[in-house]
Amino acid sequence: MGVDRTISNFIRALRNAEVRVSTAETLDAMSAVELVGYEDKAHLKRSLSMVLPKTADEKNTFDACFDQFFRFQDIRGETANENSGDSESDGEESGEGGDGEGGGAGGDPQNQNQGKKKSKSKSKSKAKQNKLYEEEEEADLGPGEITDAHSPLGKLLMANSRVELAQSMAEAGEATNVREIQIFTQKGLYARRIMDHMGLPDLNREISNLRTDTRVPARRLGQQLKQRRDFLREQVRDYVEQQFMLNADVSGKRLREEMLRSVKLSNVEHRNFRLIQEMVYKMAKKLSTLHSRRRKVFKRGQLNVPKTLRNNMSYDGAIFDLYWKSVKVDRPKVFAICDVSGSVANYARFMLMFLYSMDEVMPKVRSFAFSSDLAEVTDLFNRNKIEDAIAKTLHDYSGGSTDYGQALLDFKKLCLNDVDNRTTIIMLGDARNNHGEAHAEVLKELYDRAKRIIWLNPEAKLAWNTGDSEMRKYGAYSHQVEECNSLMHLERVVSNLLRQTN
Amino acid sequence: MGDIEKIAESVASLQAGFEAHRYICSDEIATAVFLAYQLRKPILIEGPPGVGKTELAKTAAEMFALPLIRLQCYEGLDESKAIYEWKYGKQLLYTQVLKEALNEVLGEAQGFRESVEQLHKFGDIFFSEEFLEPRPLMKAIKEEDGCILLIDEIDKADHEFESLLLEILSDYQLSIPEIGTITAAAEPPLVFLTSNNTREISDALKRRCLHLYISFPDVDIEQRIVAARVPEIPPALQQQLVAFIHELRNLDLKKSPAISETIDWARTLVLLHADALDPTMVRETLNVILKFQEDIDNVKSEVPALTAKIAK
Repeated sequence: MGVDRTISNFIRALRNAEVRVSTAETLDAMSAVELVGYEDKAHLKRSLSMVLPKTADEKNTFDACFDQFFRFQDIRGETANENSGDSESDGEESGEGGDGEGGGAGGDPQNQNQGKKKSKSKSKSKAKQNKLYEEEEEADLGPGEITDAHSPLGKLLMANSRVELAQSMAEAGEATNVREIQIFTQKGLYARRIMDHMGLPDLNREISNLRTDTRVPARRLGQQLKQRRDFLREQVRDYVEQQFMLNADVSGKRLREEMLRSVKLSNVEHRNFRLIQEMVYKMAKKLSTLHSRRRKVFKRGQLNVPKTLRNNMSYDGAIFDLYWKSVKVDRPKVFAICDVSGSVANYARFMLMFLYSMDEVMPKVRSFAFSSDLAEVTDLFNRNKIEDAIAKTLHDYSGGSTDYGQALLDFKKLCLNDVDNRTTIIMLGDARNNHGEAHAEVLKELYDRAKRIIWLNPEAKLAWNTGDSEMRKYGAYSHQVEECNSLMHLERVVSNLLRQTN
Repeated sequence: MGDIEKIAESVASLQAGFEAHRYICSDEIATAVFLAYQLRKPILIEGPPGVGKTELAKTAAEMFALPLIRLQCYEGLDESKAIYEWKYGKQLLYTQVLKEALNEVLGEAQGFRESVEQLHKFGDIFFSEEFLEPRPLMKAIKEEDGCILLIDEIDKADHEFESLLLEILSDYQLSIPEIGTITAAAEPPLVFLTSNNTREISDALKRRCLHLYISFPDVDIEQRIVAARVPEIPPALQQQLVAFIHELRNLDLKKSPAISETIDWARTLVLLHADALDPTMVRETLNVILKFQEDIDNVKSEVPALTAKIAK
């Protein structure tokens, strides 16, 4: 049970870090652990890295996660959450850790010396912690007779068993649902809750009673307890910190992603571009798998002899039902026309990114950019990386005042003949024409030839047809008019597009 | 049989086994094979070309003394080439022949109903295993004592083909509509799939496999590889050569030299009786390790600097 819990906790942390782990893989991981055991950490890591992460990216995440997780986690089971500095030195042998410390803080002076000696050879954190006790003692009452603690937590602290302490901490963590920690400002709150659950109020009461006691042994106990309480606080804080890292780190990211999905694309801050880009790729991938290629058998080309014979056997070998080898992958043809003038540039950026991220399902995207004059930028995208191409497009074409009429005329001149009944034209722009000639008749011509014309307007619907917006004219000759200013909209539009063109 | 178990009993024994067959492998690779054998899972191997993905499967076959069944993937590969095919010619021929004998078969059957009943007694002979032409996947399943099944360059095949593989990968069985399900013999095949990452492999397939990523080896392992594959190479030359290749991999090249190129180059230099890398010889043999004229031109001017650097 302990074993399984460690692994499932680890997988939880992995999932949190965006490594996709299915249930089947969880089972595989468990049988792998059963096979290799926990003794050899490097071996375990190598083994799990075959079973759980399945891409190079995921492997990197896995490496980081594994190191982080099993640094804190006592490798054998569920109790486990040791002080971070400590587990480096004795990671796998929690028993030893308990012993070494046991000497360090005991009341008996001989024991104390022993502990000091031991601690020198141990990790720094322990040495420091030992010294802390010692200083206090020297400054004040010194070692000597001491009374017994009464509160449960006090007893636990005085018992000096690191393992039991960690266990109790983990239990308290479980009880307070520390795993649900979401943002870093909650750390204090959770640390406090855990302490409370472990019995801090009782301990505090006991300490304050002891401090006012007249007897020296009782006061000494009070002092000891106070030190240990502070030490415990530190430990709990570490523990919460660790839980936060494992459970909440990426939830923060997820929250941010959730927010970015619906935020207006023009308001996206530059520092979030990378994240948006990732999201665009992710969405595009999802859509790609959803609309995977459809195949169509053609009635020409090379004869598929085996299949033909096989299928005609029922006709006594007389061949009249023919089967052909060639299979054609049917893909939609998409023309994207983007207004890249200042006001719409950011939307154009993301739409182009989206369209070109899906080249697996939509390889035939031709794109055009305009502000005053229109030009084809398909080549730019074929030659360069998507980001570079987008940057170049925006740089080269975004000058000049918007002229939709001119852009439509240019488009007509460039490729009216290529528009046919399999073509979808996506127009991205706010239709603000600076009071120029709209040339809606050109759009009508396209409307008649194309399969669909989709007009995406980044402005809110209320603002359409106000001022110099020609949305009403253009809208009349579009099959579909959509408000599109967030990733969510974009995803919906592209998904519809795929559904209808396929 | 016992041999295989012995070799696969631990990572170290596997490593030793591979080394005995002149395949030097890292801990990761050995662990992958270990898990694959112990958990009966296929391995999906990814990595740049020429790092020994296919070689791993071949060597494993040699080491375990099992037959290697190889399926090379390409666009348009389908079930009739990968799993099975009916021997349609034979079927056709037999129908023709049997037409003559039909009267004897039917005997004294009177009327249509009786004749059909009579015929039913013969069962679906035409769709029995005698008329089945097994292709690699089916052969692998039917192999009695187990075998190594290598599905090479799975990324070259179509998406749809991956789905065909799912059944065999997870359950070691194949379903043929006319016959039923064929399950692997007592010893299921050890499956290696390789991919060069020209496209993403579907999640469904990945989920069923262990995933091993082989990258370029570090200097130490590569030196051992060269020593194992080209034993006649002088040690000094071998060290310089590996160091040189590692320098090249740090450069921004169109295609970095892989292990197979390192080995080819070592062989070339041995043929030329070289004892150490000197700039002229390197320049003349660059075409062994670099496969693009652009790369060769770029590296040529760097050669003296590089050789000086590794000579230090």
